[in-house]
Amino acid sequence: MKPAEASLPSDTEVLVRRSFNAPAKLVWRAYVEPELMRRWCVGMPGWSMPVCEMDMQVGGQYEWRWRNDENGMEFGFTGDVLEIVQHERIVHTQTFDPGNMGIGMGGEPSVITVGFEEIDGVTNVATTIKYASRADRDEALSTGMTDGMEMSYRKLDQILVEGV
Amino acid sequence: MTKRDVFQAIADPTRRAIIALIALQAMTPNAIAENFHTTRQAVSKHLRILSECELVQSEQKGREIYYRLEIEKMKEIDEWLEQYRKIWESRFEQLDVLLTELKEQDNKEKMK
Repeated sequence: MKPAEASLPSDTEVLVRRSFNAPAKLVWRAYVEPELMRRWCVGMPGWSMPVCEMDMQVGGQYEWRWRNDENGMEFGFTGDVLEIVQHERIVHTQTFDPGNMGIGMGGEPSVITVGFEEIDGVTNVATTIKYASRADRDEALSTGMTDGMEMSYRKLDQILVEGV
Repeated sequence: MTKRDVFQAIADPTRRAIIALIALQAMTPNAIAENFHTTRQAVSKHLRILSECELVQSEQKGREIYYRLEIEKMKEIDEWLEQYRKIWESRFEQLDVLLTELKEQDNKEKMK
């Protein structure tokens, strides 16, 4: 599969596109089942995901929390589910929870829209992150913080070095 | 100019179109304006914003002023997006692995 592509469709949005060699119903499961979500969102070496709770129905809430097992640093995300169209679309809000990391990020929640489109057994996933303001988006971009890991590699390196 | 202004510059669709045009060759404001339904003044305003963000450079050649794209500055924007893209890609690669497993499980169940 081609690597992810990122672009800036408007003042306040970032769009990330990626295709997966699997039918939409399986990709969907990886996005809505907590145990599967945990598998691919743990990501960084040395980090675990102690909280991955999701109630993926309209009005439901979720909480993701990551923990650095060496130094106990934690951060996470919480949000509300706004829209669910099975195998097609998930819309949810996202608020950064700085945990005990002492880093701030725009207080207003962003709105994440994940679209799934299956063509010949390949699923195209388009993730649009709409920030509350241009300043929030630029901050997220310029520090390398993103919706998913919300932590730049640089910050991560620094934390890992400090932790040793 | 701060980085924020660069993002402001590329957030506007007309300015993005101007960037795409002059990426190919340096052009005069009149030649650029011919490609748009907007006024010459509007194009000048866009060019001024792009200049302020150091995305374009103007050069006097004879009686004409030519605008050309600052490729290095565009690369800077690319690098930011690249950072963003990388973080996502590392997650997606793990999702690839997971999906391969899910597909195998699915196939096994179908075989039963």
